[in-house]
Amino acid sequence: MVRSALQQRSGAIGRGPRRGALLAPAMSVVAGSLVSLLPIVSSAGWGPDAGFLMLIAWRLLRADAWPAWWAAPLGLVNDLVTGAPIGQSVALWPLAMLLLDLADRRTLWRDYWIEWLLAALLILGEVWFSWRVAAWSGAHLPFSAMLPTALLTMIAFPLAAGIAGLIDRWRLGR
Amino acid sequence: MAPPPAGSRPGWSRRAQYGLFFTLIATIAGVIVGLMMLGLSLVAPSNYAVVRGAALDVTAPITGSLRSVTTTVGGLTSGASDYWDAARQNGQLRRDNRALLQRMIEAKAIQLENAQLKAALQLREHSREAVATGRIVGSSFESPRRFAVLSAGSGDGVAVGMPVRTAAGLIGRVIEAGRFASRILLISDRANVVPARLLRDGLPVISTGRGDGTLDVRPLEVGRNPFRVGDVLITSGTGGLYPPLVPVAKIIRLDDDGAIAVPLADPSSSSFAIVERPFEPLAEQQPPPPAPPPLPKKPKAKP
Repeated sequence: MVRSALQQRSGAIGRGPRRGALLAPAMSVVAGSLVSLLPIVSSAGWGPDAGFLMLIAWRLLRADAWPAWWAAPLGLVNDLVTGAPIGQSVALWPLAMLLLDLADRRTLWRDYWIEWLLAALLILGEVWFSWRVAAWSGAHLPFSAMLPTALLTMIAFPLAAGIAGLIDRWRLGR
Repeated sequence: MAPPPAGSRPGWSRRAQYGLFFTLIATIAGVIVGLMMLGLSLVAPSNYAVVRGAALDVTAPITGSLRSVTTTVGGLTSGASDYWDAARQNGQLRRDNRALLQRMIEAKAIQLENAQLKAALQLREHSREAVATGRIVGSSFESPRRFAVLSAGSGDGVAVGMPVRTAAGLIGRVIEAGRFASRILLISDRANVVPARLLRDGLPVISTGRGDGTLDVRPLEVGRNPFRVGDVLITSGTGGLYPPLVPVAKIIRLDDDGAIAVPLADPSSSSFAIVERPFEPLAEQQPPPPAPPPLPKKPKAKP
């Protein structure tokens, strides 16, 4: 009886993580950066920084998705793909990792709302930083022009978290 | 719900402790290196020209192939809707055609007259040859800056600083050139300033991007607001980068001492963009740094 019950899902039991499971989270962040290659010719900036969104979604899902310093090379890929000044994400993404390490030590318990709040704060910081970098490179915009981007990114966070969760289950073979 | 962060308490294992410590140090180093790279790319962006060009070459074909898929699909739907009311469109097009024919004849006469006048004034004609043509395949829709990606690069003769236009008007200028693709700073970017003038009376104005697809237009001379809704701006050629007489924008709204305009050339709907030489070749290359004055030779000490 027990044996037949086990046999029905024999694929799930006794199977380890899939091949390349260690690289899957980083690959999904790179895939998020590649979203900016979609052939959308827009007259205003409104889209979310999908690479950053995937990064914090993974980091909020699990602390050991990758060693924290991987955020720097992932940020370099993001800068090269999106055309942002090189160094913007290289500096910001490891900083987000460090901040979330701190948050891990400070929060006693977590639920979806707290994760969303943390993500929203980080997204606001990211948008502010990219706004400052744009100003330093000669494009002084009012901050209100960045608010649609920030709101859209915050709303898109649960989607990114869901994708990260799906990939996590897939790569661990669960 | 969240499990305790893996590795924050590595236990007694020295190896695990050192690993954690290394990760922390490497992450902090990543932040510092990133800040230094950012500083360098803000101060001297030309240092990264090769890397950025290579990245463009790798990524632009992806965008380009996706773009051709979307234009095909879009063409199918708009083609189907064109068939839907073909009869009405046909009549409209015939009327337009007749009107345009008249306008064309008038324009030809004006062109002839213009050539005669220029010959009389001995004006030197600047050659306006196209360097390359390409398609606008993508844009920085996730960034506060307004960049677009053009499917022509240094292999086609495109170089940094060249103006880009379509048949409808000015689009921007090249700021990064890869081998097969280049990045364009659109005129709607905040950092792009276009010297222009009013088509109606030739008044010189300055147009700056607002980052949201519109332009902020100010007259060079302070005084009463000279703009009217519907005025068309053309480039003035001042500064030597953008060639003169290229349509730029149309005024849609007035404000206190200037106006808001929308670019006439819409990068998202224009199929081809033309890269031209800078109006005056001097603007093509960066002005060389002033040569240091020759050091006065020290008189040799007499033996």
